[in-house]
Amino acid sequence: MPSSKFILFGYNSTMPLTADQEKLIKQDIKSKVFLQGPAGSGKTTAGIHWLTKLIKAGIPPHQILIFTPQRTLSLPYQNTLYQEEVQAHGPVNSLTLGGLARRMVDLFWPLVGIDAGFGTPNKAPNFLTLETAQYYMAHLVRPLIEEKGLFDSLTINRNRIYAQILDNLNKAAVVGFPYEEIGGRLKSAWVGDIEQLHIYDDVQFCADQFRSFCLENNLLDFSLQVEVFLKHLWTSPMCRSYLSQFYRHLIVDNIEEDTPVTHDILKEWLPDFESALIIFDQEAGYRSFLGADVESAQSLKDSCDKIINFEKNLVSEDGIRQVSLGINNAIARLKGTPQSNPEPSFEAVRAAIVSPAENPKYFPGMVAWVADQIANLINDGVSPGEIVVLAPFMPDVLRFTLTNRLDELGIPNQSHRPSRSLRDEPATQTMLTLGRIAFHSWEMLPERINLAYALVQAIDGLDLVRAQLLTAYAYKKSGSDFPLHPFEAIPPHVRDRVTFRVGERYDRLRNWLENINTQAELPLDFFLNKLFGEVLSQPGYGFHDKLDSGNTVAILIESIQKFRWAIGEQLVSDEISIGKEYIQMVNEGVIAAQYVQSWETGDEDAVLLSPAYTFLISNRPVDVQFWLDIGSPSWYQRLDQPLTHPYVLSRAWEHGELWDAEDELAASYQSLQRLSVGLLNRCRKKVYLGMSDLDVRGYENRGLLIRIIQNILQHARRETS
Amino acid sequence: MKLPEGFDFTQSNLKDYLDCPYRFYLKYVLHTKWPALLVDDALAFEERGKAGARFHRLIQQYLLGIPQSRLDAIAQSDPNPEITRWWENFLENVPHLLEGQRYVEASLSTPMLNQRLVAKYDLVLVQDESQLVIFDWKTSGKRPRKEWLLDRVQTRLYRYILTKAGGSLTGTDEISPEQITMNYWFAPHPEAPISLPYNQKAFQADQTYFENCIQEILDRKEENFFRTDDERKCRYCLYRSHCDRGVNAGDLQGFDAFELDEENFEFDLDFDEIQEIEF
Repeated sequence: MPSSKFILFGYNSTMPLTADQEKLIKQDIKSKVFLQGPAGSGKTTAGIHWLTKLIKAGIPPHQILIFTPQRTLSLPYQNTLYQEEVQAHGPVNSLTLGGLARRMVDLFWPLVGIDAGFGTPNKAPNFLTLETAQYYMAHLVRPLIEEKGLFDSLTINRNRIYAQILDNLNKAAVVGFPYEEIGGRLKSAWVGDIEQLHIYDDVQFCADQFRSFCLENNLLDFSLQVEVFLKHLWTSPMCRSYLSQFYRHLIVDNIEEDTPVTHDILKEWLPDFESALIIFDQEAGYRSFLGADVESAQSLKDSCDKIINFEKNLVSEDGIRQVSLGINNAIARLKGTPQSNPEPSFEAVRAAIVSPAENPKYFPGMVAWVADQIANLINDGVSPGEIVVLAPFMPDVLRFTLTNRLDELGIPNQSHRPSRSLRDEPATQTMLTLGRIAFHSWEMLPERINLAYALVQAIDGLDLVRAQLLTAYAYKKSGSDFPLHPFEAIPPHVRDRVTFRVGERYDRLRNWLENINTQAELPLDFFLNKLFGEVLSQPGYGFHDKLDSGNTVAILIESIQKFRWAIGEQLVSDEISIGKEYIQMVNEGVIAAQYVQSWETGDEDAVLLSPAYTFLISNRPVDVQFWLDIGSPSWYQRLDQPLTHPYVLSRAWEHGELWDAEDELAASYQSLQRLSVGLLNRCRKKVYLGMSDLDVRGYENRGLLIRIIQNILQHARRETS
Repeated sequence: MKLPEGFDFTQSNLKDYLDCPYRFYLKYVLHTKWPALLVDDALAFEERGKAGARFHRLIQQYLLGIPQSRLDAIAQSDPNPEITRWWENFLENVPHLLEGQRYVEASLSTPMLNQRLVAKYDLVLVQDESQLVIFDWKTSGKRPRKEWLLDRVQTRLYRYILTKAGGSLTGTDEISPEQITMNYWFAPHPEAPISLPYNQKAFQADQTYFENCIQEILDRKEENFFRTDDERKCRYCLYRSHCDRGVNAGDLQGFDAFELDEENFEFDLDFDEIQEIEF
């Protein structure tokens, strides 16, 4: 069963086929086909029909492998199997590179543990999550920063240092170069201040330290999983024979969003399959920051018997196609390589693009305009599910402002997989604050005000004023005694104000916290399980009947459990408390900084708020798109990542070449072209452009996208007149 | 009621429904996580589950042909000494039973009332004369009676689905129930597996049973997924506080270890879900 909700375009194997799709389906069942075409040309629908054809031909579903760069992209294929007429006798297998590597390393660990150089090959491998990898990186790099002055010329948050070193290791693994070359590659392309070069030596040193530590302790972060799979299992006859016997038919979708190492593997694997369909989306390659490589994806053409082209976008109306044409022409002009394409019609472009008569100065004005336009559209009969609001990133402040405004207008809306800070959730803070009270020997007692907030959340009927009063008298931070005093120990006039009913609940919670660790100290996750189940979710307490809080606490506990499983053994041998270490890491922002809700219970017929790249990857066309903050450079600029570089660490980059301003500009043009044309390919009727003179952070908005839109309109007007 | 997109009926969610319709509703329709403890001695419970998962993995590796010497070394290094004993029991008592084409960790499904029934088998053997033998490895302490096993949802569902979908393993159109046997092998009681042959009568009874059960779920309105009347079921239910059905989790000794799903104790990574992250 899919682990997460994914909003899907209505792929349906009963829809009538286009001539292009018919052409694919008529291919022999033993064919190996490379299918290419623009977004919206019906490639995935054709892929689903191909899958249906395989199953109807009697091929057992377990022999069919769906390979995608991201697991959610295989859901349309999985969901097809639920259609009555398909009658599949089992699920098909879906894999990504990460899933394949992890599964094979886990299964064939007895074969690789010794050869790959792990310290204790007879013990089980310990797979790291992003969080736990970041923890170990922090564990190793923090002392190097503090004691040896590594990265001393950098003024960025330490957690970004840890994340970018990990990102480099991952890039080395998925691009397919030795991780020992990270620093050298970055240095060879650097054109700035020569004194800065030493930070790349620091990066390499930290990457080396991390890898050695992982090998010594049987720890496998993503990069090591991929490397072990590639070096030791992909070359192992037993593993290869297992894969070849298990999977006989292959369907790959969005090959252009996958990495060079994936392409290498698939190229070698293709001859073993009885049939293969490889789907390539032209003008895409949006995940380059995660290592996606369009050029190496195209090389798979040579390994297929047949190449089929889908020419026509079936989604967009003429006006949107004209805007798309205008963007391609405008970017070509800006690059100094004008094309001989016709210019779009001014009327068609004007009809397809809507913008405010006058730009508001501040972003709340833009949000108000967007919300009003959405309300008008819905009044005119547009379904909320056919509207999507996009921005390169969807910062919380923008998301919350817009959500609130839409809520006020009574417009159903949902945010696509919001990434939220787990540690900032009130339920999380409540649990961890009470944990710090129960484990008072850790000497991490919370501030009085934080305890007051936690008690407001924890005890039904307690407000902040009375919680502050209660903690002022009942909470003593000094000494080694249990820091919360019984209700009866506080002055009678205070008890009267707090009320005896609340006092009774407070006492029950207090006594529970005092007694829970008297026999033996529980692991923090089990402690929180018990606190939630035995107290806070009981009648009279804050989480009783609060299903949302239950979900948040469950995610926190799962995070702690994974931390204990991955780190516990190491910490126990160092005589460090796992729970205490977890809380310290939360405070430092190393872990619990971000989480993705695994299941959203949203209304699908709702306006969707989404980061632009997430929307692109979801392959979901809509009638109307709103592009927010179009003056922002985030529409085309790379993230500021001083310790890594997606282009320099890509396979296409020539070692020794310098990355200069021209390269940066060319990369910006390419990003903007891919993103904007990609979005238009998923838009049927209209694009609304939201902008304000100043952006969310108060910076002036004069980015490239605005200039391009103006350029299109000027040329179209000139051409038309 | 319409079930969520992508919902499959499995032995565990059917058992949840049979135990308590409201539990089924919270867990699979609302996707409510309720982070209370299932049993009181959580650490021992976790260790039991993780040991079971490691033992299943060892057998899987053995069945794939990984050299036994490597697996012996891993079993002997396991922090839980029971694994070594179970592993020895397995090697002494099981390999000679494993003749035939092996389908390890195979998943099969069959449609019913426009829904999908799914089973994941530890092992299916396709033997000569088209006999299909299911093996299910158990690490629970007690060896139950045959009659008790025959009544379990797992037994009924696994044999039923293999009858309906086993053709995809044998390459034949139809499988008769008489071709199917389900073997439960208990690692702490290794002598012989408990063998449960299937037949047409049991197949018909199972079909009616599952159809009635699924139809009942589909016919229920959301507000009619009631809490169970049997409050003993609430002792080992995560939602007990939500339902005001008790404070403390049930004791580990009383937990029906047969129902322990080792997959819950496997480390589940989700690298595939990496979205854009602002570093």
